[in-house]
Amino acid sequence: MSEPSTNDKPRHPFDVYEAYRRIMVDEEISPPLAAILTLTELMENSTGESTPMAANLFVSFLVLVAGTMFELVKALNDGAEVLKARSSNPISLNAGCELFIAFVTLFPHDSVSFTDLKAKLVRQGQQYAAEALAYRKKIAELAVGFIKDGSLILTHSYSRVVMQTLLLAHERKRISVFVTEARPRGLGIKTAEALTAAGIPTTVILDSAVAYVMEKVDFVLVGSEAVVESGGLINAVGSNQMAIIAKAANKPFYALAESYKFHRLFPLSQYDLPNHNSRIFSFPRPKSSPLTGSKQVPTSPSSSDPPEETSSSGVAPVTITQEQISQNNPDVDYTRPDLISLVFSDVGSLTPEGVSQYLVGMFAG
Amino acid sequence: MSTDTFGGASQRSVDNLASRLRRRQVVGSRATALETLLVLRQVVSKARFSNMEQLVEIIRSVGRRLVDAQPKEHSVGNTVRKVLHHIREEYHTASGTNAATMPQTFSIAKFVLLGQPRQHTVAPKAGGAKGTLKENDPDDPDSFARGLKPVLMEAIQDVLDELETVYDNVSKNAKDHIHSDEIILTLGMSKTVEAFLKSAAHHRKYTVIVAETAPSYGGREMAQSLSSAGISTFLVPDSSMFAIMSRVNKVILGAHAIFANGGMFATSGSLIAATAAQAHRTPVVVCAGQFKLTPLWNLYHEYGALDFGDPNSVLGFEEGDLVDKVEVVNPYYDYIGPELIDGFITNDGDHPPSSIYRLLKETYDDEDNEL
Repeated sequence: MSEPSTNDKPRHPFDVYEAYRRIMVDEEISPPLAAILTLTELMENSTGESTPMAANLFVSFLVLVAGTMFELVKALNDGAEVLKARSSNPISLNAGCELFIAFVTLFPHDSVSFTDLKAKLVRQGQQYAAEALAYRKKIAELAVGFIKDGSLILTHSYSRVVMQTLLLAHERKRISVFVTEARPRGLGIKTAEALTAAGIPTTVILDSAVAYVMEKVDFVLVGSEAVVESGGLINAVGSNQMAIIAKAANKPFYALAESYKFHRLFPLSQYDLPNHNSRIFSFPRPKSSPLTGSKQVPTSPSSSDPPEETSSSGVAPVTITQEQISQNNPDVDYTRPDLISLVFSDVGSLTPEGVSQYLVGMFAG
Repeated sequence: MSTDTFGGASQRSVDNLASRLRRRQVVGSRATALETLLVLRQVVSKARFSNMEQLVEIIRSVGRRLVDAQPKEHSVGNTVRKVLHHIREEYHTASGTNAATMPQTFSIAKFVLLGQPRQHTVAPKAGGAKGTLKENDPDDPDSFARGLKPVLMEAIQDVLDELETVYDNVSKNAKDHIHSDEIILTLGMSKTVEAFLKSAAHHRKYTVIVAETAPSYGGREMAQSLSSAGISTFLVPDSSMFAIMSRVNKVILGAHAIFANGGMFATSGSLIAATAAQAHRTPVVVCAGQFKLTPLWNLYHEYGALDFGDPNSVLGFEEGDLVDKVEVVNPYYDYIGPELIDGFITNDGDHPPSSIYRLLKETYDDEDNEL
């Protein structure tokens, strides 16, 4: 699983994942943008060094720099693989990487030399990242047109673009907000604190109370990790639930997504997401087997064997910690396109069908 | 705005139309669209401009005045946007640059925009090299206008022709949509639907049920017109629409304005028909000209966007003591969501509600969405 990274370290001082972590320290930058910036740095650093993929000594003898387009793209792809492997939630990262690699492939090659071309690409990447930080404002402007005066908005967890939208709406209209707690990370509380500090009447509601409050709410507004090719939404776990309840109560469900989050994934079910693994929803191994009498400390359970003896009375009590719960549960879920009313993006407001047409136009057009 | 850039006569005609729109002397989407187009034609022919931005600004300011005079007649704004779109196309063809080529500065942001539905490349009209168009010529400020005006007038004439042939084009394939011995439900008085049904009657024998559509009773006029064309017609009260829906094969409605999400405004009563049709899984088909496509999204949240008619027709003013105690509302239009509509039959082909926003991107330019 971490094979590319071991390839990486001994050959090549540029560690892709370290660079990514470093860039992500800036709170404003979202994972796809950080991925693009990381790949830009990778490109910069591939000048004059042996490329990560030159594992073969023979090849590395011939090629000391990423001297052709093919090698450059391969280097970028390898770098992207490393990032995906090391990150626990690679979906939005994927979107950024794919966008950048597709762009690099289609960039017109009319430069004097290859190094010149690479320099141009690096500049493009940095320029885009700088521009993209203004996208949240653009989306906020667009979304504010849909917020009526006196609206009660329901939102989920913490999203920077939703924050900007709500703060902008607060400047011009009267709004009030319900935020779900969004366990286990509890980011909803962060949202509520920030909004209350800005003067917007906000309440934190339990994740389980969404159906209870849905009738009072005017519409639901969420951010996104990625918007996928089917037109569906990938966002913090709990968004799918909210969308289903909103549909049942006939309330609009709006998603805010910057255009670099459009991803060419087509999940057919929740379990098609890349970060679904066998660890999620697995049953814990039994704590101690009554036959051997040995105690096994129940740390992160990794097998999916059903417990043989669930409640043997003579055994020490099982404690389940919050830590275990959060490890055992998914981070993101997939919301179907028919549950989403509109997606607001910096390229305009799109219906979910519009998103899929858009993606096809971008990557295949 | 600089009103000396177009003459007094065109200024007067704009004022005239604006006041007629405000006083509701011009009503109905096609009528307003035609009037707007005629006014725009006059404005463009008399306008003085030395570069493209000036011309666009002139047309936009006229558009703004007309739209402000009657914001509920969406076809006014649509016509202005359409004219602007055609003018820009003509300008790009004439000055030799192709509007649909890749922008010079290639950047990731532009790359992302490639996902936008692209405009059809216009085949350059046979007219010799028009590369001689020079903007902002200091010696001869009118040269640009002179060179461009004939092409502009042609473009406006195209839009006018399209408007005038709307009924014919919508009804072109009517016989393919209606089969023999079908029972069609319609309501209200829509000229487009009327032309559609009459055209199909030439080829097929079928029955039409028309709902009265109180309080305007447009249905009565429609029933009369259809039966005089030899179509077997039934006139029913609005309350029976759900009851008879199980016998109906298709519901055909007209539209007042079609929005970017595929929803539409239609005569009050259409929502009943559409909802009843959904319950019975009956197809709902809307006949409308493309000038009704509006690049606006959220009007339907505004209760006030439904035009309100005269409350007298609902509860007469003669009912003296009731009038004080009761609030009478007579909304003229219903908002019908895209999920209730199966397809739009327009003069430019048939489209499902989900591709309306694509049509919009192709018909109008993004920068004109807010005039």
